[in-house]
Amino acid sequence: MKSELPIRERLAHWIAHLAHVLPAQAPIRDFVHHNTLHGFQHLPFAEALTAAGALTGATTWWPEAKFRACLASGRITRDDLAAALDEFGVADLDAPLVGALTRREIMLASLLAGMEAPAASRLAWLRQEDGAEQNFDFGQFLPPTVAFAAQGADKSWREAVLVRWQELCGRVGKTWTWRALLEHLSGEDVLERVRGILQRHLAAHLDLGVAAWRNPVRERGFFAAWRASAGFDLAWEMDELPNVRDEVLHLPDSPLDVLLEELPRLLPDETLWGGYLERLSLELPGWSGMVLWREQHPGRGDGTPVAMLDYLAVRVLLERLLTDDLLRRLAGGPLTLADLPAHFAARPEEFLVRDALHQPGLPEDLQGRAAHLVELARHGHVEVEAWHHLAEALVPALAAARHDGAAWQLAGLCRQLGLSADDLARLRADQIAALHATATSLTAQQRGQIWLLAYERHYREQLFAALSANHPRQAALAAPSAQVVLCMDDREEGTRRHLEEIAPDIATYGAAGFFGLPILWQGVDDVLPTALCPVVVSPTQLVREVAAEGDEAKLAAHLARRERRLNWRERFYQATRRHAVAGPVLTALGAAPALAGLAALTLAPGWAGEAARRWRTWNDGRVPTRLAMTAEQAVAATPEQPQAGLTDTEQVDRVEAFLRMIGLADGFAPLALLLGHGSGSRNNPHLAAYDCGACSGRHGGPNARAFAAMANRPAVRAGLAERGLVIPDGTWFLGAEHNTCDEGVEWYDLDHVPVRFQPALDTLLRQMGEACRAHAAERCRRLASAPTRPTPWKARQHLFGRGCDISQARPELGHATNAAALIGRRAMSRGLFLDRRVFLISYDPTTDADGAIVEGILLAAGPVGAGIALEYYFSTVDNERFGCGSKITHNITGLFGVMEGADSDLRTGLPWQMVEIHEPMRLLVVVEQTPEILGAILERQPALQELVANEWIVLAAKNPLTVALHLYCPRRGWLPWSGPAVLPQVARSADWFAGESEALAPALILGGVR
Amino acid sequence: MNPLFAHLHDWVWLVPGLLLFVVVITGARVLLGRAQGDAAEPLTARLSSLAAFGGLLLLLSIDAMALSQGAPGHRILGHWFGSGNWAATISFMLDPLSLTLATLTALIGWLVVRFSANYLHREAGFHRFFIGLSFFLAGIQLVLLAGNGLLAFVGWEMCGMSSFLLIGYAWHRPVATGNALFAFVTNRGGDAGFLLGLGLAAAWLGGFEWTALANAPKLSVGNDRLLVIGFVIAALAKSAQLPFSAWLSRALEGPTPSSAIFYGAVMVHAGVYLMLRLEPLLVQVPDVMLGLVVVGALTAIYAWLCGLVQTDVKSALIFATLFQVSLMFVAIGLGWTTLALVHLCLHAAWRLWQFLVAPSWLDLTRQRPAPPPAWLRNNSLLYTVAVQRFWLDKLAQTLMVEPTAGFSRDLRGLEEHFIDHAIGQPGQGKAVHHERPLVVADGLPGRLLASASDTLQHIEYRLLLRGKGGSAEKLMHRAGAYLRTLENLLEQPRYLMMAVMATFVVIL
Repeated sequence: MKSELPIRERLAHWIAHLAHVLPAQAPIRDFVHHNTLHGFQHLPFAEALTAAGALTGATTWWPEAKFRACLASGRITRDDLAAALDEFGVADLDAPLVGALTRREIMLASLLAGMEAPAASRLAWLRQEDGAEQNFDFGQFLPPTVAFAAQGADKSWREAVLVRWQELCGRVGKTWTWRALLEHLSGEDVLERVRGILQRHLAAHLDLGVAAWRNPVRERGFFAAWRASAGFDLAWEMDELPNVRDEVLHLPDSPLDVLLEELPRLLPDETLWGGYLERLSLELPGWSGMVLWREQHPGRGDGTPVAMLDYLAVRVLLERLLTDDLLRRLAGGPLTLADLPAHFAARPEEFLVRDALHQPGLPEDLQGRAAHLVELARHGHVEVEAWHHLAEALVPALAAARHDGAAWQLAGLCRQLGLSADDLARLRADQIAALHATATSLTAQQRGQIWLLAYERHYREQLFAALSANHPRQAALAAPSAQVVLCMDDREEGTRRHLEEIAPDIATYGAAGFFGLPILWQGVDDVLPTALCPVVVSPTQLVREVAAEGDEAKLAAHLARRERRLNWRERFYQATRRHAVAGPVLTALGAAPALAGLAALTLAPGWAGEAARRWRTWNDGRVPTRLAMTAEQAVAATPEQPQAGLTDTEQVDRVEAFLRMIGLADGFAPLALLLGHGSGSRNNPHLAAYDCGACSGRHGGPNARAFAAMANRPAVRAGLAERGLVIPDGTWFLGAEHNTCDEGVEWYDLDHVPVRFQPALDTLLRQMGEACRAHAAERCRRLASAPTRPTPWKARQHLFGRGCDISQARPELGHATNAAALIGRRAMSRGLFLDRRVFLISYDPTTDADGAIVEGILLAAGPVGAGIALEYYFSTVDNERFGCGSKITHNITGLFGVMEGADSDLRTGLPWQMVEIHEPMRLLVVVEQTPEILGAILERQPALQELVANEWIVLAAKNPLTVALHLYCPRRGWLPWSGPAVLPQVARSADWFAGESEALAPALILGGVR
Repeated sequence: MNPLFAHLHDWVWLVPGLLLFVVVITGARVLLGRAQGDAAEPLTARLSSLAAFGGLLLLLSIDAMALSQGAPGHRILGHWFGSGNWAATISFMLDPLSLTLATLTALIGWLVVRFSANYLHREAGFHRFFIGLSFFLAGIQLVLLAGNGLLAFVGWEMCGMSSFLLIGYAWHRPVATGNALFAFVTNRGGDAGFLLGLGLAAAWLGGFEWTALANAPKLSVGNDRLLVIGFVIAALAKSAQLPFSAWLSRALEGPTPSSAIFYGAVMVHAGVYLMLRLEPLLVQVPDVMLGLVVVGALTAIYAWLCGLVQTDVKSALIFATLFQVSLMFVAIGLGWTTLALVHLCLHAAWRLWQFLVAPSWLDLTRQRPAPPPAWLRNNSLLYTVAVQRFWLDKLAQTLMVEPTAGFSRDLRGLEEHFIDHAIGQPGQGKAVHHERPLVVADGLPGRLLASASDTLQHIEYRLLLRGKGGSAEKLMHRAGAYLRTLENLLEQPRYLMMAVMATFVVIL
C-alpha cells in the first residue's frame, strides 16, 4: 500500500508525479516544441483533455463560438458535423426520437444553436430586439422548461444552499485549494499576495545571469535562502501579519518537517495531500514548472541547488499563513480552516449571496448589490438581516435565470429544428423532455470534441481529395539536374514547391533537419559545443569548425577582434546598469550611436540590418574555415567527453542510413544539396521556437554542411560503394542553410566545389534564389503589414527588412500553418499546392517491404510532428493558460523565461502572436504504405500506439500502388476513404494564392510536374 | 525673409496641438466604432506618426532659426484668463533649454510611434495605446514648451493621466490596474506641490510666467524657499526620487514601447527639466539645493542597491534609469545645470534604446555582471532590504493608497447611508399628487423640488395671467437692481480670484 510508505517516499512520489502536470519547458533559450499535455499522453486524447481541463481549469477545446464562425464561413459544413457525430460514436443516431426527429438532427441542432444562455439583462434586450423581428417570442418556450427546471426546486433554498456548500468544501484537495474556495467566497485572491512575496525570491534563486547580487545563503537551497531573508522582512508587519516573523524564525530547519507541520493544518486527511500539492503547484504553473525542471536538470543551472521540496514547503507555509489571515478578516474573528465549513453552514444566506456572484444569468442590479455587500463585508461587519434580505431577492432571480436559460436553449433548438412554438405545444410533455434531454446530453467537452472532429474532417477531406486527384499525375523524374534535401518542416513545403515550379528537373526530398547526423557542433565563434539533433538524443561526437589550412593566424586575429567587439557590447549593456561611475560615462558614449541606430532600424530596418552586418564582418574579418569531423578511431565517449569527429565507418553508416531512409540510393544527379534551416529575427525572446525542431531549436546548417562534406570524402564513398550504394564521381554534395525568416540562403564550402560542377552550381544557385523569392511572395500574403500582391523581389526585400526589424513581433509565422504530415515519395504530393501546411518526409515504400524504414521514420518524426502540432493546438485553444499571452508586455526574467510586466507567473508555451492564425487541429499523418504493414508496426511499437491509438495524431495510409486511402480509427479499424477527387487547377502557385490572405484549400499546380 | 518663416515660432502650439488633434480623431473613431480590424490600424498609426513628425519638423525649423538668429525666447500667444494685476496666458518658452529637450523628445516620440505600429499590430488595445501615447506626447511637449507654470501643469497632468492609462494597458490583470492606481495616487503628492508653487506664484508674483518666476528679486528668501519647495516636491514625485521612488518600479506593466518612452527616456526626466527651468529661483536658496543633493544621493544609493538584485530585465533597467536620474538631481543641487542637461539628453537616448531592445537581452549579454564587493555581497540584512526595495512600495501603499481608497469607501458609505436616503434615488419616486401622476419624487430634495416647481408654477400663473403692474412685477424690478450690484461686486479682482481658487479646490 502506498499510504503505508514513509512520508518522505510518498512526498518524493508526489513530486515525481508533478512532472506530468507542470509545464516542462526548458529555459527559453532552449525552447523546443513538445506536447503541452505530455503528462497526459497515456490517456486517450479526449479523456486527457477533460482531465487536464478539470485539473488546471483551462479550456482544452476551441470555444464553440469560434467553430460556429467557421461554420458560417464555410470552413466547416453541416455534412462535416453530421459525420463527426458518427465518428464520435453516438449510438442510435438515425432512430426517430421525437416524432420524426432523429437523435442526429436534434444533436446537430443543439450544436448549431449553442448552449450558452445570455445573462438576464442581455436576454431581456434580445427578447425586445429579436423577438419582434423574427416573430419568435421565446416567452412561449418558457412554460415547458419550467416543468423540467422545477424538478430540483421542491426543496427549500436553505437545503439546496447547504448541499452546494458541502459540494464546494468537498472540492478542496481535489480540484480546489483553500485559496480557490476563499476566492470564490470573498473575491479576494490570496495568490496575488503569495506571488508577490514568493516571486522576487524565486526569481533570484533561479536566476541564470541578470542579477549581480544574489542571496548570500542560496547555496543552502531555496528554503534556507527564503527563510534567512524572510526573517529580516518588515513587510509582515506592514501587511498586518505581525506573528509571521516569529513563525518564520521558529520554523524547523528541514523543509520536509515544515511540510509535515503545515499540511495537517491545511488538511487533516493525509490521502488528500498529494492532490493538494498538485493543485497548489498548478496555481503558479510557470514558476512551479521551472523549479521542477531545474531540479531534474541540475547540470543546466548555475550550480545553485534547486529542489521542489524547498519550493513546496514555502508555498504551503504561505498558503496557510495568508489563508488564516483572510479567514480572520472574512469571519471577523479568529477562525480555523477546519471550522470554515461549519461557519458558512450556519450562515446559509451569506453563502448564498457570495455564491450567487458566480452564477450565470443573474440580473445586473442584483449582481451589483451582491458584489457591494461582499465588498462591505471585507471592511466591516454586515448584519445578518442585510444578507438575508438580499438572499430572499436572489433566490427567485436565480430560479428565473435558470428557467430563462433553459427556455433560451429550447428556443434556439427549435429554431434550428424548424419547430414553431405551436409545433412545440403539440408535443407531449415527455417528448419535450426527451428533446431537451437529448440536446443537453452532450457535455461541454464532448461538444468541443465533436466540433473538432468536424473541423479536422473538413481539412482531411480536402487533403485526401488532393492526394487522390494527384495520384494519376505521379511520374518519376528520369534524370534530375539536382537533388535537394530539405527539412521536413512545413515551412519548407513552400520552398520545395516553388523550386520545383521554377526548375521542373530538380528532385526534392524531405527529412528531419539534422539529416541523420546527431552531432555536437562547435563553430569557430562558439565558446561551447551545442547539440544539433532531436532533444531525445544525446550526441557523443563533436564536429568542429576550424580555420582552413594556413589561415590559423587569420582566425586568431578574427577571434581577438570579435572578442573585443563583444566585450565592448557587454560593457555597454551591463555597465550602464551596474556600475556607478562607468555607467554614466558609457551612457554618454553610447547615446548618439543608439539614437542613430534606433532611427535607422525604425525607418529602414533592412538597410540598417545589412549595414550592421557588414560592419560586423568588416570588424571581425572573414576566415575561410573547414570542418574537423574525422576521427582516427572510435573511443568510448559521453556527451560531456565527446569523441572528436566521426570515424570513417561511422560516417559511412550515417550517410548510408540517411540516403536509404529518404529513398535516394541511386540515380544521383550532378549536384545534391542538403538545405538545413534556421530563423534569424531580432528582439525576440522566443527565437528558438522558430528554429529547427529536429536540431533542438537551433540552426540546422552545420548538419547539412557536415553531411555534405562527409558524402564528398573519397573514403566514405568507397565505404558506401562496398555496401552497394554507389555515388558516382559525377555527383557533388553541397550544404547550405535556409533562413526561414528572411528567405536568404547561406552556402557552405563553395570554394571546395570542383570546377567541373561550376555551370551546374551556377544554375542551382540561381534557381534557389528565385525559388526563395517566389516563396517570399507567397509568405507575404499571410502578413498584414506586408505589401499586397508583391513581386518576388519586393517580397524578399520586405521579409529581409522584417527579419532585421526590432519592432516586429511577428518576424515570421513559424509553424502556425501546420496541419498534416505526408510520409512517402514526393511524387505523391508533387504538383499540389499544400499551402505550407504539411510536413513532407521522404520515404520510398518500394524498397521497404517489411516496413522497417517507415517504422524508424514514424518513431523519429511522429513525436516531433505531434509535439509541434499539439503545442500549437494547446497554445491556440487557451493562450492564457497553455500559451504565454501577448509578446508586447513580455519581460525577460533571469534569462530563463518571460513574465508579463514585472510581477506575474512565468509564462510558458507559445505567444499569441505565433498562434493567432493557427487552425487548432491534431496532426494528420498520411503514410504511403499499406494498412497491413502500418497496423503491424502499430502493434509492435508502444510509443506509436500511445500516439495513434490514443488519438493524439490521426493516421492514414495511402496505398503505394493504387489510389486507395485508409483512415485509421482506434474504435473501428482502417476505414476506406471515398470521395470526389476533383480539384481546382492552376498553372502556378502564384495564380492560386494571389490576393488571398486566409488559409487556402489544395489545388493542382500544372507547372510543377514535368 | 519670408514673413511666414519669421513668425514660425508662433506656430509652436501646433507641436502639442497636432498630437491632441490626433487623440480627438482616434478617440472619435473608436467611439463611433470605426476603428476595428486590421484595416483601421494604419490610419491610427499614420496619423500619430504624422503628428509626431510634423511637430519634429516644426521644432527643427525653429531650432534652425534659433541657431541663426538667436532663440525667440518667451512668447505670449494669447490671453487665457486673468484679473487685475495677474494673468494666465497661453505662452511658450523657446529658449535653448526648452528647444533642445522638446526636439529630442519629438524625435524620440516619433521613433516610438513608428516602433509601436508594428509592435502592437492586432492588439485589442491598439487604438487605445496610440491615444494614450499621443496624449502623453502632447502633454510632455506642453510641459517642455510652456511659457508658464499653469500651462506646464496642464501638460504635467496629461502625462500623469496617460501614464495611468498605459500602465493599466492590460486591464484584465489585477497587478496592472493596481499598479496603475498606485502610480497615479503617488504622483498626486507631487501635484499638490506643483499647485502650491503655482498658488504662491500667483499670490506673490502675480502670474505664472517662467520669466516672472526667474526674475523674482522682490521675494524674500523665505517666500522664495516656500515657492521652490512646492516645485521641488513636484519634480521629485515625477522623477521618482525619494520618498516617491516606489511607483517607478511598479510602472512596468505596459507594453515595452510605453515602458521605454515613459520610464526609460522621457517622463522620468520631467522633474529634472522642471528643476533646470527653475534654476534662477533655486540658486537663491542654497539650503534647498543642498536638499536636492541629499535626496539625489540617497535615491542613487537606493536605486543602485536595488538594481543589483533585480532579476528581470525591465526592473533592472528601471533602477539603472533611476540611478542616473538621481545623479542629475545631485548635479543640479551642486549647481552644475549644464552637466545635468547634457546628461539628461544622452541618458534619454541610450535608455530608450536599451528598453526597446530589452527583449534581446538573451542575445546581447554573455555573462552575469560582476558581483558587488564581499562585505555587501554577504550581508543578508542589506540583501533583504534591497530585494524588498526598502519596503517603499509597501509604505506608500499603507500611507497613501490605502487611506485614499478608505476615504473613497467612506464617501460611498456616506452617500449610501445618508445622502441617498436624504435625496432619494432616481427612478424610485412616488407621485407627489394623486392628480398629477407624472410628477414623481423621492427623498427630501425631490420633494422640495416638487414643491418648488409647484410654487413656481403658481408664481408663473400669477405673473402671466394676472397681467402687468402687480406686486410681482415690482418685486422683480427690485431684485434686478440687487443683482446688478452683486455683479459689480463680483467683477472686483479679489472676489474673482476667490472664485477661481474655489474652482481649483473643487477640481482637486
